[in-house]
Amino acid sequence: MTDSYIYIISVLLPLAACMVLFQVNPYHALVIRGILGAIAAMIYAIWGAADVALTEALVGTMLAITLYAIAVRSSMVMRVGVLTEELQEIDENILKDDRVHNLFGQLITDLRKVFQNYYMRIELIFYQDIKELDQALIDREIHTTCVRSSSLEPDNLDETETQPYQTKTRVKRLYNIMKNELSSSKTMLTYFSETKPEEKH
Amino acid sequence: MNIIFMNVILIAMILALLIPIVEVCKDNNVWQKMLALSSISSKTTMMIFIVSVLRDDWMIGVVAVIILSVGNAGFMLMAHIMKRMRNA
Amino acid sequence: MEQYQYIVDILSYVCIGIGIFFWFWGTSHLTKNRSVLFKLHSLSVADTLGSMAIVFGLLLKIPSEWPLLILAIISLAIWNTMLGYVLAYCSSTRGDHD
Repeated sequence: MTDSYIYIISVLLPLAACMVLFQVNPYHALVIRGILGAIAAMIYAIWGAADVALTEALVGTMLAITLYAIAVRSSMVMRVGVLTEELQEIDENILKDDRVHNLFGQLITDLRKVFQNYYMRIELIFYQDIKELDQALIDREIHTTCVRSSSLEPDNLDETETQPYQTKTRVKRLYNIMKNELSSSKTMLTYFSETKPEEKH
Repeated sequence: MNIIFMNVILIAMILALLIPIVEVCKDNNVWQKMLALSSISSKTTMMIFIVSVLRDDWMIGVVAVIILSVGNAGFMLMAHIMKRMRNA
Repeated sequence: MEQYQYIVDILSYVCIGIGIFFWFWGTSHLTKNRSVLFKLHSLSVADTLGSMAIVFGLLLKIPSEWPLLILAIISLAIWNTMLGYVLAYCSSTRGDHD
């Protein structure tokens, strides 16, 4: 038994692979993928496959990690469309340091907090008016719109007192998450079902 | 005699390799995991080196040197990507 | 010549032993509840110096592979140090600038 270490080392590969499989956080999985690559390269080299080990080291640490990072960054995001006037209000409130009346900032903070549990980011995209916003939602440029109720229907003032914002999403899963976990009473949630059945993805 | 010594050295190295692997499961901070990753990668490279010397195989040694330099460069790139992703 | 070979062999084993001791010492800091920078410092010192000691031991043992081993020592000294700096920079500045 002069080569007993080979068997011990070989056990490490399935161990590292299981660690990648059971990791839920995508960023941590990215790091553990690097560990898997290092261990795999070592095992290939020890079994005598120098070329495979070299390929694993080059592809596993550089290419796979870069591609994976790009995939995570571009897919784990919720794009929220808002009106440009909110941007001005945020700036004004930051200047005045008025945290109490900055409802929009609070709402976005709540959203970020909810989606942090799902490792998702919130990206704000600004539009000039309501029409552009709705068109963007239909065109699948954004997942969710978040507008002031008063700018939708200026007459209905009772509703705006309790829920000053209206959030509309076209993704069922996002709607379910927000309905279950968004505890703030600042917004009214609606699910926007798409009316174009021919566009299937 | 020589082979037995080398085997003992390799098994000690495997034990040292197990510490960061266990640590990576326990820790929750991304940067702690990155530390464990850099530690694991340099340890695995050294193990490849020992095996290459043990077998007197020049080819595996060349692979170890390339993994050592390219792997480290890859982790630097990865650390910057992680930083950008966390900040955005 | 024979007894010199004996001494060199023992010296190489001592070097490798010191290297592995360094590894255990540096990695044991990873399990403690300290800051990232503290761990990074002990880990990079221990890993770099320990690995260099191991490679030096191998160099004494098999001098015929000297170009490879010298290259390994150089790339360890340069790249591991640089990786330490990059990790410290990336983990400490959380969006302060850039």
